[in-house]
Amino acid sequence: MKVQRLSQIAPSIRLTRNRHIAEFWRIFQDPLLFVGLVLVVLFVGITIIAPIVAMVQESRTEQGQELFENYLGSPVYRTIIQNTMEMGLLVAAAGTALGFLLAYVQVKVDVPFKRLMHIIALVPVIAPPFAVATATLLLFGRNGMISRGIFGVRYDIYGLDGLTLVLTLSYFTVAYMNLRGMMMALDPALDEAATNLGASRWRIFRSVTVPMLIPGIAGSFLLLFVEAIADLGNPLVMGGNYEVLSTRIYVSIVGLYNTTAAAVLSVILLVPSLLVFVVQRYWISRTSVVSVTGKPSGTPHMHRHPLIRWPLFAVAMFVTLFVIMIYGTIFAGSFTKILNVNNELTLEHFDFVINGYGSEAMKDTTQLSIIATPIAGVLGMLIAFLVARKKFLGRNALDFATMLGIAVPGTILGIGYLLVFNEPSEITLPLIGTVTVLPKLTGGRALLGGAAAIVLVYIVRSVPAALRSGVAALSQIDPSLEEASISLGEDNFGTFRRVTLPLIRPAFLSGLIYAFARSMTTISAIIFLTTPRTKIMTQQILNEVENGRYGNAFAYCVILILIVLVAIGILAVAVGTSSGAEKTMEGGA
Amino acid sequence: MNGNQAGTLVLEDVSKIFPQREGQGEVRAVDRVSLTIPPGEFLTLLGPSGCGKTTTLRLISGFEMPSSGRILLDDKDISHRPPNKRDMAMVFQSYALFPHMTVFNNVAYGLRAHHVSRGEIRQRVERVLDLMGLKGLGERRPHEMSGGQQQRVALARSLVVEPRVLLFDEPLSNLDAKLRVQMRSEIRNLQRRLHITSVYVTHDQVEAMALSDRIVVMNEGQIEQMGAPEEIYRRPISRFVADFIGRANFLPATVCAVEGEQIAIDLLGQRTTATASFTPRLGDSVAVVLRPEGLQLRPDPDLPQVTVEQAMYLGTSIEYFVRLGDERLIVVETDPRTERIFHEGQSLGLTFIPETAHILPAG
Amino acid sequence: MKKPALLLTVLILAALALPVISPAAQAQDDTLTVLCTPQEDWCVAMTQAFQEETGIETSYVRMSSGESLARIRATQSDPEFSVWWGGPADAFIAASAEGLLEPYEPELASVLPAEAVGEDHAWHGVYIGALGFCSNVEVLDELGVEAPTSWEDLLDPAFEGNIAMAHPATSGTAFTAFWSVVTLKADELEAAEEGTGYDEDGAPTEAAIDAAFEYFSQLHQNILQYTRSGSAPGQMAGNSEIAVAIIFSHDCVKLQEEGFAELLVGTFPEEGTGYEIGGMALIANAPEPDAAKQWIEWALTPEAQAIAQTVNSLQLPTNPDTPVSELSVNLSEVNLVDYNFPAAGENRTEIVERFDMEIAPQPTE
Repeated sequence: MKVQRLSQIAPSIRLTRNRHIAEFWRIFQDPLLFVGLVLVVLFVGITIIAPIVAMVQESRTEQGQELFENYLGSPVYRTIIQNTMEMGLLVAAAGTALGFLLAYVQVKVDVPFKRLMHIIALVPVIAPPFAVATATLLLFGRNGMISRGIFGVRYDIYGLDGLTLVLTLSYFTVAYMNLRGMMMALDPALDEAATNLGASRWRIFRSVTVPMLIPGIAGSFLLLFVEAIADLGNPLVMGGNYEVLSTRIYVSIVGLYNTTAAAVLSVILLVPSLLVFVVQRYWISRTSVVSVTGKPSGTPHMHRHPLIRWPLFAVAMFVTLFVIMIYGTIFAGSFTKILNVNNELTLEHFDFVINGYGSEAMKDTTQLSIIATPIAGVLGMLIAFLVARKKFLGRNALDFATMLGIAVPGTILGIGYLLVFNEPSEITLPLIGTVTVLPKLTGGRALLGGAAAIVLVYIVRSVPAALRSGVAALSQIDPSLEEASISLGEDNFGTFRRVTLPLIRPAFLSGLIYAFARSMTTISAIIFLTTPRTKIMTQQILNEVENGRYGNAFAYCVILILIVLVAIGILAVAVGTSSGAEKTMEGGA
Repeated sequence: MNGNQAGTLVLEDVSKIFPQREGQGEVRAVDRVSLTIPPGEFLTLLGPSGCGKTTTLRLISGFEMPSSGRILLDDKDISHRPPNKRDMAMVFQSYALFPHMTVFNNVAYGLRAHHVSRGEIRQRVERVLDLMGLKGLGERRPHEMSGGQQQRVALARSLVVEPRVLLFDEPLSNLDAKLRVQMRSEIRNLQRRLHITSVYVTHDQVEAMALSDRIVVMNEGQIEQMGAPEEIYRRPISRFVADFIGRANFLPATVCAVEGEQIAIDLLGQRTTATASFTPRLGDSVAVVLRPEGLQLRPDPDLPQVTVEQAMYLGTSIEYFVRLGDERLIVVETDPRTERIFHEGQSLGLTFIPETAHILPAG
Repeated sequence: MKKPALLLTVLILAALALPVISPAAQAQDDTLTVLCTPQEDWCVAMTQAFQEETGIETSYVRMSSGESLARIRATQSDPEFSVWWGGPADAFIAASAEGLLEPYEPELASVLPAEAVGEDHAWHGVYIGALGFCSNVEVLDELGVEAPTSWEDLLDPAFEGNIAMAHPATSGTAFTAFWSVVTLKADELEAAEEGTGYDEDGAPTEAAIDAAFEYFSQLHQNILQYTRSGSAPGQMAGNSEIAVAIIFSHDCVKLQEEGFAELLVGTFPEEGTGYEIGGMALIANAPEPDAAKQWIEWALTPEAQAIAQTVNSLQLPTNPDTPVSELSVNLSEVNLVDYNFPAAGENRTEIVERFDMEIAPQPTE
């Protein structure tokens, strides 16, 4: 019984402070751990916190305040904000529904082709931006091969309906993975108990399954909402006149280079994103009733009734075929001169990407992603280790700050980088004079041609996923394993290397794969950071798409997907997990 | 094996304060504990969950830092020394075997951490595996072994580094009852043979008594009583200890004579001598601790009468719950010659074996 | 064991990464970075030819002219480009007014037409092109309308959601379109009452600009999308996504040459259309000034200007010695407005900001 003795509270408060000091002292005593902590804190402070703070500060300048009032007062901008929210909500609802349906069919219904459906549902994780939107335009646009070619309709896909479609197809995987994991963890004994008590299938679904999954559904909804309102690529391609905040931010920078206006719009976008992040983190995760890690105590009962089975199968298969068709279009488009206009087969697009002028972007992007991947993976595991295993003041803050790297929309991070790293960071010290702490990282003559800033963004965007999978993996590992190692005379670093890291290897692998895939496909965060010296594939794809050279764009997409798949294979072999890439992709999603 | 010498462990006024989970307050998990453990002693920290025994062990091992006080090993202050530099090895409740390593590599782990040469590692690991009866199992993985074997590996892994102090955190609680008894005697023998200072944490008093040279009973973060097993059992200093170690009946009595060590009391209508862990004065009301095996039932109308409420035949003994006025007492008949079993509802006389009475302050 | 394998992988990856780092720190004048505004394939052809000619390692980034201006402005303290090639001169004039360009007089400046030489040789013209409409005949048929031949035609509700142009903030093409309408509105006002259309200096008045905004806000109802790049709407017309693209006529011809010959038809507004002089300038504080000057000298030669035709860029060359393709527009057959470049340059920033605030984000019915 830990009994609190009232008379001792006052002196013990002083002891608390001493205790914190003692904890720091302990970390300090282990130099590697200390250095690790300092590096992590510096990294997070410089690459995540500083840009966001700079962006918010920029929006709070006098000029920014004025713009702020203008925007909020203008009906036009109110419409844009409304559009953004409307699109976010629609995509969140549609994506969650689609993810739920596919997950339910996968886990609870006995249908053929499950494996295929599962793989197809994961594909969007490695899909480059613009790919889906462009293919959809070609298939269902005004001159679409299907809308017009088959049905003879000049369907106007630009705007909200088209955006909802492509964004849903791009992001439903998040909901699918989330809900599938939860459904698999649902204890079948609950179903059995309900059946035992005389409940019908429908009643079980309504009164047991769905309520148990509410946190997952709500969580997916929120995540999709944030992804949708932060997306830049799709609204650029098929927004039509449906303006949203992210495209406005984009024009403010590329057209006017008005960082203040961009910052103000970003703050408007940041508010719902952060709100969702906080709700997700502190509310949803607490109300979760399903232990995702729990081992189910039986095999789930599959629906076999034909009236349930076949309609669900039909819908799921339709979605699967739809996704296949989209990617098939990309593939076909990369081998034809101008798909739907001149269907002559050609390799010229691949020649452009592999040998021609487009190859530079391919090489640069791959190289930068290769640099960012191991750093993000190790950093993610290190932060996970610190957060999950070490006690120090600000542990939660470190976790929170790291997660901000993905919680804030990419455009916002990009603008923050422009604001912070456009000049070298210098501090003036007495006696020594001015010292350059960080060289200029953005703009054309920046360090390594701006490549450094892009790599930083890649890392910042990838670390959160690695952190989460690392923390999840660590929570499965009995801390006494690490204590046993230390008690046998190994130091913290040795313990991390010899015990922790091997045990969380699958999480490490999924962190690496996610980092690579994310780096290769990211656009919104780096679109303002590319320079003459560093060309990035996604940016090139945007150029090609915008100028209607779909063939080149598709060839880029195909190559990009291939590179990511090859990298997944190599990583799986190198890190040596036999569980295969698919499993880790699930972790990364 | 016993390469390192000595191993005198001293705790000086050690306290550990944790912040309370909710609210502002704090919890004293360990409250001014002082202990001296001589080399080679097997000492057990015993107490109910939350009494601070595990925290004390973690303070010794270095996984927690004391909020105040000092810990000394062979006269050196190690209070703030990191756990990997303490020359101690811990055996965990969950065994904590590294699942990704073979048995051999598990055992060799600590030696590699200490940069022992390859050849010597092989030699020492083989020897300790041999000692633990694990010969030939070196290439197995932990999950391919039984619970008892895993526990032996865990023990081997700690022994092979020849620590000055061995720490045990309830190492037997995951084993089934029979295996537990067996492992208990193995640990006992091994420790006697190797003469390594050992600190053992358990909440199982039988285990504590079976293993220990000395037992420390803890309650609410403080040391309640410290002593050899028989001393603790026979002469508990408090109701808590008496209750926690074995089972106890408490009966009120009055001190009728104090003559040096000899104390006379009136109990169940008899005058008898009793031991005491405090110095009572004449006329004091006290509580008498009587172990169940110290009480006896006789069909004798002259003795105070009790009613049998429950009778259980257990083979090695017979247990009775009897009622004496408001008190419910437990009586254990252990005499193997006893054939007579009393029935529930029967009225009987209650008496006791005089040498077993021990008194505590009343209340 | 697996550990060495991991280590090895990391090492290989690190080695792969090295080439990206090394070339960044090279000395200045054996390289040249061009900010290129015309269509991508022309940029490629030009930089490759220049590299072959001079041995200077030449790279380019393609940006639309508004984007280019914004980028040069943003990086003026430490420019990343040395020379800016192509895009309507208005943007060059605006840049020059802000001190972003460094005057340099190439030898061939003397052979250029007068309007192709900027004030103080701040910039020089490399090509000339006229703005037009590029229409998809199939879509026109479906909508039941003729190819538009006037600015007024574009306001026909039949075109709702079937016209595309670029965003003037990013695209010089779109700005040229805007200023063309400003000029026409100024003429109208001037015709109604002298002095209301033009001020004393011959620049269109505020009223004319307001009238143009009025026109574009009506046109907005028919616009599907404002693209980033000026020529992109042409592709949309080619892909039958829209009926009419407001682009430079040479971009329409280029598309016709590249597979859309039967689908696309080019027209000009009869009230008068704007034209561009594609500019070229040395950027102030250029990191590679010598190479940039070499480029400027070279780009005015007939040989360099003739490269355009090889990639179907059929703008009219400014060097009269360059052979002209018969596919190029004959400017004498087109009704050109009196395009006041200096005034356009001066008003550019204000107009695009206003356009971005007032017109682009408007919802359509």
